[in-house]
Amino acid sequence: MGGGDGPLNAPRWLGWAWAIPAAFLAAFLVYPVIVLGARVGLGDGWSGLTAASTWQVAGLAAVQALASTILALVVGIPMANVVSRYRYRGRALAQAMVTVPFVLPTVVVALAFRSLLGSGVPQGFALVVVAHAYVNLAVVARIVGAQWAQHDDRYENVARTLGATRWQAFVTVTLPGLRGAIASSAAVVFVFSFTSLGIVLLLGDSTTRTLESQILRQTSVLLDFPGAAATAVIQLVLVTGVLLAGAMAGRRSPRRTMRPVALRPVPAGLSGIVVRVAVATTVIIVIAPVAALLLDSLRAGGAWSTAWWSAMGSVDAGTTRIGSPLGALGMSLGYALVTAVIASIVGGLAAVAVLSRGRARVVALLAIAPLGVSAATLGLGTLLAFGRGPIDLRGTGLLVPIAHALVAVPLVVAVVAPALRATDSRRLAVAASLGARPTRAFVTAYGSVLRVVMLASAALAGAVSLGEFGAASFLARAGNPTVPVQIVRLLSRPGEESYGVAAALAVVLVALTLALVLLVDRFGMSALQRSARTA
Amino acid sequence: MTPRLAADDLVIGHGSTVIAAGISFEVMPREIVAVVGPSGSGKSTLLATLAGVIPALSGRVLVDGADVTQVPIHHRGIGMIFQEPLLFPHLDVTDNVAYGLRRQGMSRAEANERAATLLQWLGLAGYERTSVDQLSGGQAQRVALARALAPRPAVLLLDEPFSALDADLRRRLVIEVSEALRHEGTAAIHVTHDLAEAAAMADRVITVPEAPESGPSALGRPAPPA
Amino acid sequence: MAVSRIRRTTGLVLIIGSLVLTAACSSGGGTDAGTTGSPTAAEAGTVTLLAHDSFVVSEALTEEFTAATGLTLEVVTAGDAGTMVAGAILAAGSPTADVMFGVDNTLASRALDAGVFEAYKATDAARLRPELAGDTADGRLTPIDFGDVCINIDDRYFADADVAAPTTLDDLTRPEFKDLLVVEDPGTSSPGLAFLLATIARYGDDWTDYWQRLRDNGVSVAGSWTDAYTGQFSAGGSGGTRPLVVSYATSPPAEIVYASDPKPTRPSTSVMTDGCYRQVEYAGVLAGASNPDGARAVVDWLLSEPVQADLPLSMFVFPARADVPLPDVFTRFAATVPAPLQLDAQQVAEGLPDWLAEWGAVMGR
Repeated sequence: MGGGDGPLNAPRWLGWAWAIPAAFLAAFLVYPVIVLGARVGLGDGWSGLTAASTWQVAGLAAVQALASTILALVVGIPMANVVSRYRYRGRALAQAMVTVPFVLPTVVVALAFRSLLGSGVPQGFALVVVAHAYVNLAVVARIVGAQWAQHDDRYENVARTLGATRWQAFVTVTLPGLRGAIASSAAVVFVFSFTSLGIVLLLGDSTTRTLESQILRQTSVLLDFPGAAATAVIQLVLVTGVLLAGAMAGRRSPRRTMRPVALRPVPAGLSGIVVRVAVATTVIIVIAPVAALLLDSLRAGGAWSTAWWSAMGSVDAGTTRIGSPLGALGMSLGYALVTAVIASIVGGLAAVAVLSRGRARVVALLAIAPLGVSAATLGLGTLLAFGRGPIDLRGTGLLVPIAHALVAVPLVVAVVAPALRATDSRRLAVAASLGARPTRAFVTAYGSVLRVVMLASAALAGAVSLGEFGAASFLARAGNPTVPVQIVRLLSRPGEESYGVAAALAVVLVALTLALVLLVDRFGMSALQRSARTA
Repeated sequence: MTPRLAADDLVIGHGSTVIAAGISFEVMPREIVAVVGPSGSGKSTLLATLAGVIPALSGRVLVDGADVTQVPIHHRGIGMIFQEPLLFPHLDVTDNVAYGLRRQGMSRAEANERAATLLQWLGLAGYERTSVDQLSGGQAQRVALARALAPRPAVLLLDEPFSALDADLRRRLVIEVSEALRHEGTAAIHVTHDLAEAAAMADRVITVPEAPESGPSALGRPAPPA
Repeated sequence: MAVSRIRRTTGLVLIIGSLVLTAACSSGGGTDAGTTGSPTAAEAGTVTLLAHDSFVVSEALTEEFTAATGLTLEVVTAGDAGTMVAGAILAAGSPTADVMFGVDNTLASRALDAGVFEAYKATDAARLRPELAGDTADGRLTPIDFGDVCINIDDRYFADADVAAPTTLDDLTRPEFKDLLVVEDPGTSSPGLAFLLATIARYGDDWTDYWQRLRDNGVSVAGSWTDAYTGQFSAGGSGGTRPLVVSYATSPPAEIVYASDPKPTRPSTSVMTDGCYRQVEYAGVLAGASNPDGARAVVDWLLSEPVQADLPLSMFVFPARADVPLPDVFTRFAATVPAPLQLDAQQVAEGLPDWLAEWGAVMGR
């Protein structure tokens, strides 16, 4: 079983691929946490480590995160199947739409669910689990779909000719083949739900508290920094444990012959109907909350109206100017592009380092650590490290995309690493045996896979940036709000117009994300098709 | 004598695209039939249709005289081997070979025993618990053969199983596979574009008739390079 | 084939690169703060104001500031007031800005204890309202604005139901108002915390009994003001069902200002003026500021007449100065609270952890 072994004749530079992600993470993850830790210390916060209430919250959060993960997998795996394997009109749109819930600011998701379900649905466990599953569908559908798209379904045909029913073939052949991707995505969804903040605050009750919400309360309400530090340490340890387990399950996933497979036509007969129903269901599940928002944006004073849409150019009721909502779009788009570039370079190299040996693996693991570091911790640490002299990066406008990239890098690794691992390294040997120099051979062996997954992960990173609220409100200059910040500002003042324009802006954010993801998918797909032709 | 496998006025293709029509032939018990024809003539589509992987556009497929045209793949008793071994990568050698037996409900011990017998017969004794990653190309194709033979299929369909191997190995395997088929008494259809290979293995050689208009390649995928 | 692939990849990289550059340039050239985006230019003529994320002031006023002082005003936000103060405490002595606006009377004592501020008396300090004139923490803080957190009432609901709306905190626990109130979680929401403090100020040690009665009467606890007001309040615009909500005394005029045209002549909500908690927001020069003179100029500017006059319609708060006229919509619809409740800052700082824990125990959260 050579799951993580490096190819013998890898180009020499591959051995140094870890250096860039290592430097990035040292500078923007480790250093701020150290600066903050040195300032705070733990003091008597250690008593927090043994406090029953902290562990009770951790237990509740674990149960909630487990339920969210299972629901996301149960719904997301069939979605991965229909949005990334079959060819039909609107497939690219369906695939892009699945990504949308992931980027909606949590306050918008919460409002959309309220708008959809009415205020009759009680806040609490079920609502939080459903919202988490909804938000994280993209993680499952994208990560599992990326691997499934390349899965050779002749394996299933072999199993069927050996006497396996369709279901047996799925369970004994398909699922094990996707195990790496499923484990990766499950770990990520679990961690997102476990460390969730916005949805828990907006839709939760006492049974859905998380350590992250505890940390926020300790930091900004109680100003109990040592206590917050202790909780943050617990969270980091637990999350790292989960991610390690996910990474190990992924590593045990074997190599297989992966071929860049063209999309399948929708089969005829019953299975074709099943696929069509699954596509329709996917679209309805994803679109329902967004559609509720769209309707809200078109209703004014109890009648149909486009007033909120025309107000988007400038909302300047009274003397208040919170900036043009359309101006915020430009800001968000800029951040998203910078984030996509930073995150794909850092995350891609970290994933490539997985192919190499030794300490590079440490980097790959470190690259997913931002998921475990509490957002409040990282925000305050970044402020202390880079928000004042001698290194003041706030004026450069880079702090926000850097913070977004930290969140996105683990996702990039989660997308890229399983795909690379699943690529048969014998291709490299073949290319080398044909006389190619190491770099050339590496490009031949991994180029097509890399190009596809890198574009997919850049889309995901850009999407993360588009929907992110915390860092954008915490580390930015006041005059340049992003779209989510703008939405939250609108929602934090009363009046029908504020809500209507916020709903319209949320719809624009959805459309923007769709466009971005569609664009990148298009590049990705054409790269995939080209490599299929040249193969 | 009832033929093991019969095609009766079979029309093959994808959706509305007909690749070949009017295909009728019989394969008698223990008989090995080679199907030859150039790339793109629909040989692979024919095998996929016989196995039930894709539906026949019209006509019938019979196994031991029974019409199986509407029977799902896993109840037809037709085994298949492809150009690549397609061994299940998450299972070791024995578990791959025993896969079909376990689906038939055979106990693990019994299935492992039959797998061991087949592996020994194919010169793979000692590889029982090896990961399939570690096998050479020839070894992997032998394991694929053992896996296909293990559940004793009525007919085994071989879709260019040697074309990815080098010439030396191909010659050796052609002999080994014929011996294995005759030893097990399994009827087989061997698709190849190599006439010499066909002659070396088969009792009889047939060709796929031309399509009304030559259509695209089989299985909806780009044809593998010759 | 290979060549065209390389070309297209290169093309993609170039497109992304140029977009990034464009974005970087456009973000650097933002007109709002008038900065060039270059950190070195910041040294000479820039003063940095740290504010919470609800801070808004009209653009013309920042331009006036620059015209009057020659200083460029850069406003940076750091989350809500609590998070901002947390950051300021952690950076005490070596701050991330020169001056801070938005620390309020529940957070002030912790920041003062940590030595965040340096004493400064604003030039117009004599113009403060009498009740705020002494509220300066030995000269380290300058009151800028104040507002009251009060129960808001959906008038139409009570008119339709032909029931008199509640007028006191005690009324809220009566059976005719069962399942009608939504409040915010004091652990996550600033008005929610203010309402908790109001009940503590009113009921003293018996405050947990009051909350027990509220709970028995079906109070709903929302995670945020937005969820409470926009989501659950029946006059919040998105189909909520509860006609009583914890919000601000200035929410009714805000309803008018943010309504679509044609504007309603009067708001559909009103304010219960009993049991309101007063929040005062201060500005202060940060100790260790790199531009202390600029910082003092900002404090003066915040207390200057034009900015004070701008506050009501920018942030829906009352100006701290006594001599500034209020806009018409404020004089007509904003509630004036005769006897707002307030707790001593030191008492809040010491009691808060236990209060929140007890509140959680009573409310099962």
